[in-house]
Amino acid sequence: MAAVIETDKLTKIYEGALKGQDVTALKSLDLEVREGEILAYLGPNGSGKTTTIKLILGLIFPTSGSLKIMGRKDIGANFIKRNIGYLPEGAYYPEFLRGEEVLRFYGQLYGLAGRDLKRRVGDVLELVGMSRARNRMVRGYSKGMRQRIGLAQALVSDPKILILDEPTTGLDPIARKEIRDILVRLRNEGKTLLISSHELLEVELISDRVGILYDGELKTLGALSDLLTDRDITVVVAGLTAQARERLESGGVEVEEAIGEHTTLRVPSNRNVYEVIDLCKAANASMVSVRPRRETLEELFVRVVGDAGDQAAEKQKETAK
Amino acid sequence: MTNVLSFFRGPWTIAMYTWREGMRKKILIAFLILSLLVIFGSNFITAFLFETGSQSGTDVDTKLIKDICVTAISLFGVLITIFISASVVPNEVDNKVAYTILSKPVRRYQYLLGKFIGVQLIVLLNLALMGALFFVALYIKEEVMPSLLLMSLLLTYFMFLIVSAFTFAISCTASSAVLPTIAGLFIYITGNLTEYLKDVYERAGQTTQLLDALIGKTALYLWHLLPNLKAFNMRNEIVYAQPGDFMQIERIMMLVSYSVIFAIAGFILAYWIFRRREL
Ligand SMILES: Nc1ncnc2c1ncn2[C@@H]1O[C@H](COP(=O)(O)OP(=O)(O)O)[C@@H](O)[C@H]1O
Ligand SMILES: [Mg+2]
Repeated sequence: MAAVIETDKLTKIYEGALKGQDVTALKSLDLEVREGEILAYLGPNGSGKTTTIKLILGLIFPTSGSLKIMGRKDIGANFIKRNIGYLPEGAYYPEFLRGEEVLRFYGQLYGLAGRDLKRRVGDVLELVGMSRARNRMVRGYSKGMRQRIGLAQALVSDPKILILDEPTTGLDPIARKEIRDILVRLRNEGKTLLISSHELLEVELISDRVGILYDGELKTLGALSDLLTDRDITVVVAGLTAQARERLESGGVEVEEAIGEHTTLRVPSNRNVYEVIDLCKAANASMVSVRPRRETLEELFVRVVGDAGDQAAEKQKETAK
Repeated sequence: MTNVLSFFRGPWTIAMYTWREGMRKKILIAFLILSLLVIFGSNFITAFLFETGSQSGTDVDTKLIKDICVTAISLFGVLITIFISASVVPNEVDNKVAYTILSKPVRRYQYLLGKFIGVQLIVLLNLALMGALFFVALYIKEEVMPSLLLMSLLLTYFMFLIVSAFTFAISCTASSAVLPTIAGLFIYITGNLTEYLKDVYERAGQTTQLLDALIGKTALYLWHLLPNLKAFNMRNEIVYAQPGDFMQIERIMMLVSYSVIFAIAGFILAYWIFRRREL
């Protein structure tokens, strides 16, 4: 698959008023967004997600490194902008306008007019589920409705690429699910989506690939199935004797504190689960469940960022010496 | 031709929406009500002051009305001009509407042009409404001199245009309207004082001391460089107008060109500031 957005050692330093106040928000980023995928761009607050997105849109300018969009380097060019829809983080839309007027305004900026404009605005209102509120003032919209109008605004020209900065942050669970469904639908229509988020669960469900950013550095980038490591098997038993418990533990099985009758055993992937089951059977414990345990994105995140955190701590120690 | 059209389409769309937004601002209505009060209030004040109703009284009193109204229009007008010019860009940078607009196929100069034109539409409409009120007030007094009034309003607008352009340019550095508003007031006040610079030059020229000469030269350069806003003021002509008076068309054309040149310089400055600004 072709890359529609490519960054090459992209670096951004925000210059402070004084020396030593400079903030390195992005360090030598090599990111690639491929055609037709949903790339989840993850990282805690302040890790540089918004900075990356603003660079892609030409709202700010790189300190060094470069980026290419649809193979072109002239980032501010109208050709590129025509193909990108953008939803900023926590955006506001002219309060004094009706939902539909907001979309007409943005549509006109693409040169849409007359019947085309009307049709497009109708389509995107339908798509984001805002047809009924189209004639209400934006002032009276809920947060979820504003976000939908924002999404509609990004879609009004039917762009190939969508760049959404924290599209579901601050919304209630139902609104989140609806927005997620819309995003999947757009991907299925062949659009490329770059979605930033600091909430992992939000994007784990829908993304093709994830990139994890931490402190301005891309820690990992790949398909979820490749990134998540082999999983343990979780066995839950009832009535486990203390003796059997000891034997299991000495055999490398992680035994969690019993909750009531039930004890949870974590069998590492390198151990034969049948041995564990046999042992439990011999000890007259009864089986409750056996299931593979998938590593979650959250665990991956902690693993990746945790390493980074540890490394940073060590480096500091070294420099202190 | 189609190129020209498509170039102006973006700015025009932005201008229209800027205008709509501006018209919703309560402060505009507040100023309009204020000017309504002043203009019609001046009628009552003068009626109260010159109750005698003698011949000379009427004369003095229309003069006073005109004086109050002309001053009120240019003062309220310039305040609105400064406030609107200082706020349109910073507000949109602050609330990120500028991000969404600039991510559409709109170049930064087109965005600025749209905003600037929108501001001018607001200022013009506002001035027209205040002028209409003034006209009505004078009509009541049977002291109508429409052409002179119209010329005066026209020149007032071109004075606003200079203030607007430089306030707008300064606002392109800011993400709040506070500083550019203060800067706008400063521009307005300084622009009305430039005549004193010439005084300074002339007086400094009388001694031969080095420092004086230096100050004199600086004053002269500033006098040439800074816009002289007082030149646009037709207060005297209006107040002391006699039936049959008219403005010299050359003078008006001169002032209009003078204003347009400063406005273009101001806009270029705005673009130069905004071109590489990090949003
Ligand atoms: N305009 C700015 N000036 C200075 N520092 C900034 C600016 N914008 C962002 N930063 C800093 O850059 C880092 C990355 O910010 P950002 O890209 O907004 O992170 P994220 O979107 O992942 O929360 C943060 O440390 C933030 O404080
Ligand atoms: Mg962010």
